[in-house]
Amino acid sequence: MKTNVAVFYGCRSVEHEVSIISAVQAMRAIDREKYDVTPVYVTKDGEMYTGSDLFTIEEYRNMPELLKKCKKVYLVKENRNVVMKYENAGLFSSKKPVNIDVAFPVVHGTNCEDGTIEGYFEYLGLPYVGCDIISSAVGMDKAIFKDVLKGAGLPVLDCVCFRAREYMTDKESITAEITEKIGFPLIVKPVNLGSSVGITKVNAIEELDDAITLALSFADRILVEHAVSAIREINCSVLGDTDSCTASVCEEPFMNDEILSYEDKYMGNSKNGGQSKGMASLGRKIPADLSEEKSKEIRDLACKIFKAIGASGVVRIDFIIDTETDTVYANEINTIPGSLAFYLWEASGIKYPELCDRLIELAFRRQRSRENLTFTIDTNILSGISFGTKGSKGAKM
Amino acid sequence: MNYYLLISLILAAISGMFSITRQFQMLQQNSYFPSRYTKWLKENFEGLPIYLFLISSLLFCFGLYKIQTFFIAACLGFNIYSAVNTQKKSIKKLVFTARVKRLYTAAFLIFALFVVLYAIFGDTVLGRAAAAVTFLLSFISPILVYISWAVTNPVEKAFAKYYVNDAKRILKSHKNLNVIGITGSYGKTTSKFILTRILSEKFNVVCTPHSFNTPMGVVRTVRESLKPQTQIFVCEMGAKNIGDIKEICDIVDPDMGMITSVGAQHLETFKTVDNVFKTKFELANAVKTKNGKVFVNGDSAEIISRIENENFTVYGTDADFDFTAENISYGRNGSEFEVKLGNDTVKLTSKLLGLHSIINITGAAAIAYSLGVSVEDIKFAVASLKPTEHRLELKSSIKGSLLIDDAYNANPEGSLEAVRVLGSFDGMTKVIITPGLIELGDKEYECNYNLGLEAAKYCDIMIFVGNNRSKPMLAAAKDSNFPKDKVFAVGSFREAMEIYSGFADSNSVVLLENDLPDNYLN
Repeated sequence: MKTNVAVFYGCRSVEHEVSIISAVQAMRAIDREKYDVTPVYVTKDGEMYTGSDLFTIEEYRNMPELLKKCKKVYLVKENRNVVMKYENAGLFSSKKPVNIDVAFPVVHGTNCEDGTIEGYFEYLGLPYVGCDIISSAVGMDKAIFKDVLKGAGLPVLDCVCFRAREYMTDKESITAEITEKIGFPLIVKPVNLGSSVGITKVNAIEELDDAITLALSFADRILVEHAVSAIREINCSVLGDTDSCTASVCEEPFMNDEILSYEDKYMGNSKNGGQSKGMASLGRKIPADLSEEKSKEIRDLACKIFKAIGASGVVRIDFIIDTETDTVYANEINTIPGSLAFYLWEASGIKYPELCDRLIELAFRRQRSRENLTFTIDTNILSGISFGTKGSKGAKM
Repeated sequence: MNYYLLISLILAAISGMFSITRQFQMLQQNSYFPSRYTKWLKENFEGLPIYLFLISSLLFCFGLYKIQTFFIAACLGFNIYSAVNTQKKSIKKLVFTARVKRLYTAAFLIFALFVVLYAIFGDTVLGRAAAAVTFLLSFISPILVYISWAVTNPVEKAFAKYYVNDAKRILKSHKNLNVIGITGSYGKTTSKFILTRILSEKFNVVCTPHSFNTPMGVVRTVRESLKPQTQIFVCEMGAKNIGDIKEICDIVDPDMGMITSVGAQHLETFKTVDNVFKTKFELANAVKTKNGKVFVNGDSAEIISRIENENFTVYGTDADFDFTAENISYGRNGSEFEVKLGNDTVKLTSKLLGLHSIINITGAAAIAYSLGVSVEDIKFAVASLKPTEHRLELKSSIKGSLLIDDAYNANPEGSLEAVRVLGSFDGMTKVIITPGLIELGDKEYECNYNLGLEAAKYCDIMIFVGNNRSKPMLAAAKDSNFPKDKVFAVGSFREAMEIYSGFADSNSVVLLENDLPDNYLN
């Protein structure tokens, strides 16, 4: 009897394709001696499919053909288990319902990684890998993430935040505020997208409006922060939960443009006809060229940030070093990092199958500690209340 | 064939199906044992159905079929009403399990058989006999209960066998599953929950819920709750007869065991304590065949006197044991004690009070430690244990004082232990409020006198409730020369609390023994 791990990926997100790459990698890494793996591919319309063809990355080139080979499924709760059922499964169909023991979301971006899919699992009472609703949501919103870190006394760059309506109706004062508080060069970001989508570096006031307009096409809320000119980007992954966590070695990604763009992150090699390999294929130096001291500082900071937002599972935290002052700032967090940051863990001595194994164990661990708390009281309070007879104006409690 | 009679028979059959509801309910609540159901029946059978049956029989014998039809129609109405009403009012209603549905089906088929027999043979001797049986079964429904039970029993046995085999198959397919059996005359359910809580810090644990401890209860847990990721199955095992524990062991094949106590329980079936010991240690025998560890409570005199020269891991409060709770103290945070785990002496704190709780925790911690749960995890889990309501439950009370709510404790030994727990709140003003124990028959005076003696030993202030009830305890106070101005007898709890509020401060602790605080504490 093996634990059945359902890997959820795809979803209604701009990073749909990246998620497919990360998920296929993860599904291949999970130890089949110990686990059964059920792929649950969520289309851009939010429909769920399963099938053995989903394990092969090449199949995804022809999506309509792939979906024809797969079966549409849905999840229901039955006898305290979560069961995956096949749509249109007839009485004599060989497609029997499957028990799901744990969910393994490998999704990126809004409408999934931001607590949405985590909420779905919570609702079903299904143990799941990774951050819970709140930490996922905080991790997704760059502005709130900064607020939480500031509150915990952790270093972040100052920023100005505003909403689309505020900017559209009063460009002058917001532009003035940005110029005064942040100054140029600066960076404009939508608050809630990962993978550098919609992010622009702005060197002069003339470019500001275009950058904000671009960002506003991705999100309703915009964040503007100072662009550190003498900059190094350092990433570090953290694995564990709030009781105990460890940081991986640090990496330093190479930048083609001034900031790491979507193309850099995920399309690096594919232009040359090579396969898409996700974050793992990006040009980078592991471990990053840092003094032992600096590396320790960043790794400690990473664990503190992990705990501050109440994260769980594996995350990747991106830092900025202002090389002029040698100051480290936390830039953003990926609560489900591309390729699950496995390349950082392999460099830290943990092989990908073991990483997956630990993540699944962490999911069960969280479930256990939740079960030790009381969520419902067995007696029905309503059973003792009379709601009156017909014609009375509702019950008073 | 008489059509009025046929209608009567059909109505009687329907009526019988309703009146049997109450009987099936009681059969279910007696665990489907006909013998226990019979015992209930003897105590609760009423004459009314017999009178109604006699009336019906008279009408039948004199050929007054038309009147009989109306009479039975009336009975049907009455039975529908009373069946629905009884279920509505019952605290423990009939649960329509698959088994109950099979019983109903059997009852229905039996009625159908006799009605059809009448329809075929009409007014011949055979036909009329079938009619008579139908009426009999309709009015005297317990007879039908026995028949339905007998008819379905072979089916139930086959089902049970299938379930047992299925459970064995599931357990076998879990290659690395560790099964821990827990048995004992007292404390097995509590120990099970404590052990499960501690183990869940590190492992995916499933335990038998509530006090499920029969073979079928265990089988049900295995089939419904065991998941592929389950690493440990904590299985409570109950016994009323020799061989009961072995029967469960044969199903679950335990790797480890915990025996919480051996005492004089269920002696009506066990006859001697030796037999109790033998039965409980069937668990030890099963575990030993797998070279597993068996943890036993050394504080249980009936255990420690019987296990010399045998290889057991002993826990309790004696310094010679393998795992020992030492330096026990009680205070505002609950109980505090030390247990040596490996090379570390670990200080544990728990909201659970009482020596028996501490012993149970020590046993559970010993097992968890030997399975590799870290000392930190054990500490946290023990500190998070929740007490059962109104069982030595530590709460805060008026003016910052402490309250030990032991309202549900009604047995003499337990109440003496509660007083001793109160006595160990060193340096605090110790107060007891109690009406004494009730419903102990001939022994009531003696037990309450002893409670008074023990209270006089440990308490600073004693408040007894009930002017009459407090007499034995007052006598005990007098005989132990307890200061007269520190003992009170009052008429009600409200008065008791008024007196207590005069003494209460942040340095006082009050034990509320054998009554609910909610009645007067607001």
